[in-house]
Amino acid sequence: MNTLRVLLMLAWRNLWRNHRRTFIMLAAISVGVWAMIFMTALTQGMVNEMVKDGVSALPGHVQVHHPNYRDDPNINNLIPMADTELSAKFAAAGFEQWASRIKVPAVITSERESRGVTLLGIDPNRERDLTFVDYEDIDGRFLEDEADKGVVIGRKLAETLDTDVGKRIVIMSQDPKNDIADRGFRVVGLFGANMQSLEETYVFAGKQTIQKLLSVGDHVTELVAMGDDYRNVEPVYEKVVKLVDDSVVVNRWFELDSYLGTMLRVMDGFVLIWVVVIFLALSFGLVNTLVMAVFERVREIGLMLALGMKPSSILGQIIIESMLLLVIGLAIGNVLAVASIAPLNSGIDISIVAEGMEMMGSASVLYPQLRMEDVILANVVVLILGFFASLSPAWRASRFQPIEAITRVD
Amino acid sequence: MNIILRLAWRNIWRQPRRTWLTAGAMVFSNVLLVFMMSFQFGMYSLMIDNSLQALTGHMQVQAPGYVDDQRMRQTVADVGDLSRSLREQLASDTIAARAQAFVLASSDERSYGIAIIGVEPHFEQKVSNISGLVSKGRFLSENDAAEIVVGAVLARNLRVNIGDELTILGSGVDGSFAAAVVTVIGIFDSGVPDLDRTLAEIPLGLFNDVFYMEGAGHHVVVNAPTVDFAPALQAELEALLPEDADLVVHDWDRLLPGLKQAIQADLSSSFFMYGVLAILVAFSVLNTQLMSVLERTHEFGIVMALGLKPGRLGRLVMLETVMIGLLGAVIGALLGSILTWYFSFSGFQIPGMEEMAIQFNLPARLYPQVTALSLLLGPGIVFVFSLLAAVYPALRLRWLQPVDAMRAA
Amino acid sequence: MAAVRCIDICKTYLQGDQEIKALDHLSIEIEAGGFVCLSSPSGGGKTTLLNAIGGLDKPDSGEVWIEDQRIDTMSKGELADLRLRKIGFVFQAYNLIPVLTARENVEFVMQVQGLSPAMRRERSTELLNEVGLAGLENRRPAQMSGGQQQRVAVARAIASRPTLVLADEPTANLDSKTSDGLMDLFEELNTHHKTTFVIATHDQRVMAHVPRLVRMLDGRIVDDIEQNAA
Ligand SMILES: Nc1ncnc2c1ncn2[C@@H]1O[C@H](COP(=O)(O)OP(=O)(O)O)[C@@H](O)[C@H]1O
Ligand SMILES: [Mg+2]
Repeated sequence: MNTLRVLLMLAWRNLWRNHRRTFIMLAAISVGVWAMIFMTALTQGMVNEMVKDGVSALPGHVQVHHPNYRDDPNINNLIPMADTELSAKFAAAGFEQWASRIKVPAVITSERESRGVTLLGIDPNRERDLTFVDYEDIDGRFLEDEADKGVVIGRKLAETLDTDVGKRIVIMSQDPKNDIADRGFRVVGLFGANMQSLEETYVFAGKQTIQKLLSVGDHVTELVAMGDDYRNVEPVYEKVVKLVDDSVVVNRWFELDSYLGTMLRVMDGFVLIWVVVIFLALSFGLVNTLVMAVFERVREIGLMLALGMKPSSILGQIIIESMLLLVIGLAIGNVLAVASIAPLNSGIDISIVAEGMEMMGSASVLYPQLRMEDVILANVVVLILGFFASLSPAWRASRFQPIEAITRVD
Repeated sequence: MNIILRLAWRNIWRQPRRTWLTAGAMVFSNVLLVFMMSFQFGMYSLMIDNSLQALTGHMQVQAPGYVDDQRMRQTVADVGDLSRSLREQLASDTIAARAQAFVLASSDERSYGIAIIGVEPHFEQKVSNISGLVSKGRFLSENDAAEIVVGAVLARNLRVNIGDELTILGSGVDGSFAAAVVTVIGIFDSGVPDLDRTLAEIPLGLFNDVFYMEGAGHHVVVNAPTVDFAPALQAELEALLPEDADLVVHDWDRLLPGLKQAIQADLSSSFFMYGVLAILVAFSVLNTQLMSVLERTHEFGIVMALGLKPGRLGRLVMLETVMIGLLGAVIGALLGSILTWYFSFSGFQIPGMEEMAIQFNLPARLYPQVTALSLLLGPGIVFVFSLLAAVYPALRLRWLQPVDAMRAA
Repeated sequence: MAAVRCIDICKTYLQGDQEIKALDHLSIEIEAGGFVCLSSPSGGGKTTLLNAIGGLDKPDSGEVWIEDQRIDTMSKGELADLRLRKIGFVFQAYNLIPVLTARENVEFVMQVQGLSPAMRRERSTELLNEVGLAGLENRRPAQMSGGQQQRVAVARAIASRPTLVLADEPTANLDSKTSDGLMDLFEELNTHHKTTFVIATHDQRVMAHVPRLVRMLDGRIVDDIEQNAA
């Protein structure tokens, strides 16, 4: 224990002998660690927004469908069980959020224009926290209940259709017999979304109204349940599986939107790669610093060895010196990262590339996400790899021959 | 060889390990940069080509405002005549007229809302690759036939095959009811989910009759030999348009704004990362060169006493940095291009990237190619950062007094 | 005209809070072609005086003249040029650039002066020959003895054909035989080229050699004697 204290003290003093070199190395480590964490937080923030948006556009972490529905999202592929019966089971199961709805392709037509859309027949009270629509931010009003006779469409769609709140539009879809089901609706509200494609694609109507229009009685195309974290949907998934029979399939969100699922996995991998790449770039400087420090001290290391210090202590001393350097650099880097991310928490506006971000599936405001796991990962990777990087110079120093080292002239 | 060059060269090898570690940091970054940039730049041009060749083309002549809302009535009058005259005037046949509507398409069993495009069958084949992607049946041929080509997913969803009939229901340009029965003659499989699921093409003549277009259409696609020639062609094209016609030409960036922006967003985040790497290399160089200057204080004092001015010594330090920098740049660029070269044969695939690739119209496996730009840009950046890092150690010499310097051990 | 003239120069250093008068109202004149030895115990002000004469350092007050130029008011750049053209230096030890060979060390200064490669080669051969190092042109400093290294330094100092050579304890690290040899070389160059030599030393054997011996103590001249050449 005592030797460790001595070694620690020696290492600490040695570290500051060439303060310039130590400062430069500290600056490099700090910048590297800052970049590791900062970039990771931005990336995680982007992925987080993408997944959140993606999940809220689906929406639902775990979804129940007819086995054919995913391939053929048609009104014929209804969930065989009656909606009221299944909904009662879901209501009793105690999910954070759940809903049942009809989701079918349709055509919406105003006096002058037609567009293909996705028609959602919903119970507005169930969906409040499920969808990407902010009920408070509606021109006009949102649907009031599942029997509401109006429709709510996106602002962008209203603009292209040349329609507005209070005007009528026609919705066409098919019923299970493939007869065209069409009906005039009054637009009661316009919603906004953070991505234009959402405003163009989705049309909300009351579930019962749509059930009647499409003549499907007490049936829906999907039931969804939501947990509190999109990264942890297994508990919800298992609960849902228990509630249904095998006339339906149950999917997690990342199975339904494989792009998002992949994105999440790829980005987790990216974080590790990024951290390692930065470390490797740093490692050259770290080894360089240690090598210089060792070679400047050839004589005194020889002297210590001659005085009877064990080679292992020399080894330990150099490694401790390197670890001290890393720990201080990590501390500064972490503080810098936290300090530079904090002011960005209200979001970074990247709307100059909004359409490009939309192509990737992301909105134009980026909220950096500083995750404890990522910070720990960065710190641990640096310390472990740093340890291995210092082994070689430390080993070399401990192998000096005392006499040679003392008598050495540069 | 010049003594100064010789001196600089020998100086960097006084501490070979230190020089190699410094150059090593450069090599590491450069290998990474050359490979990544070759990969990215190749990917971008594929993204652009693949996205444009299906429908968008290099530029389009449209009515003003159509680009934003694509309203049915924002038409180009006599679109067939316009495309014919443009073909003649520009002596090019990669020019084709189109019209577009959103309709409900019904088969016996299914109905879906789709986008339907009226095309000039003969010329459409020259501006779009969809005709070449017909995997079943054939592409459109006659301008008035009641025929339709649909995307593969759409065909599956509608449960139709070659020879089946589809009913299309929508509104004409004047808002009146429009309907037609057409026969499926071809199914295309572009691999782009959005197109395969929602797109169908019919002859422009048929479109004209069904939607009461009276000769009007929605745009004329104009392609240059490659995307690089597009701006020049656009200028030529704009000059040709009749003054009174009230038409605009939009380039692909305006037509698909997401594309360039996605590239920009990707580029800026990558360049942040590359910048960080370059800065870390710069710190390495700063450390090495500062140490090397400090070690040589006594020696510098002697040569200053001999009458060498500090500026000259500064230049010597910069020269040494240039040498280490060139070492790192050349070895890095070489290894980087060997790595890229290897992947240009074997292809490169990030595990699980297929879905992301599809999102951006890319094949799952990419074959990065080394270009002059991807070879030089990264090592160039690292080199410049290294030189900047050496400025401080070099400038320090300005404040060096020969007497003090010589007193240093 | 005198080769060197110092008029009432002072130089004070602070060591801690103690003022040290390294040069204390010192005046000296050295005639062209002279061979002068400055001697004092360590700390007497020899190096400070040489630095002032060589334009490496400026006195706090007083005037320093090299031939007809007053140098204590010159800019750093002018001083550097002056040293390059007119003054040669030989220091105590570690005089040479370790990565350059004997020849390159000599040619280095000539290159800075802008001499052509052919010219440099000819001159360096001649100079190294003159200082007795023929055949060792391609050795690096580490491959030569201390005396040989000092001879290279001398060759370098006279490479620009300076009118004045300043040597600060050039023999301090040499054994007596080698140091005699070096002094002989200085004398030879002095007679042959009419170059003025000022040598600082506290080596008795060196002092014995010289025609003019200036003894210093605490920054002042305490004795200035002409001796017969040994
Ligand atoms: N840069 C300096 N800072 C402080 N004191 C100095 C400095 N240079 C010289 N001195 C002091 O000035 C006095 C004269 O020194 P110096 O000229 O080197 O003597 P000498 O060369 O005769 O040994 C000494 O006491 C020395 O300690
Ligand atoms: Mg002295």
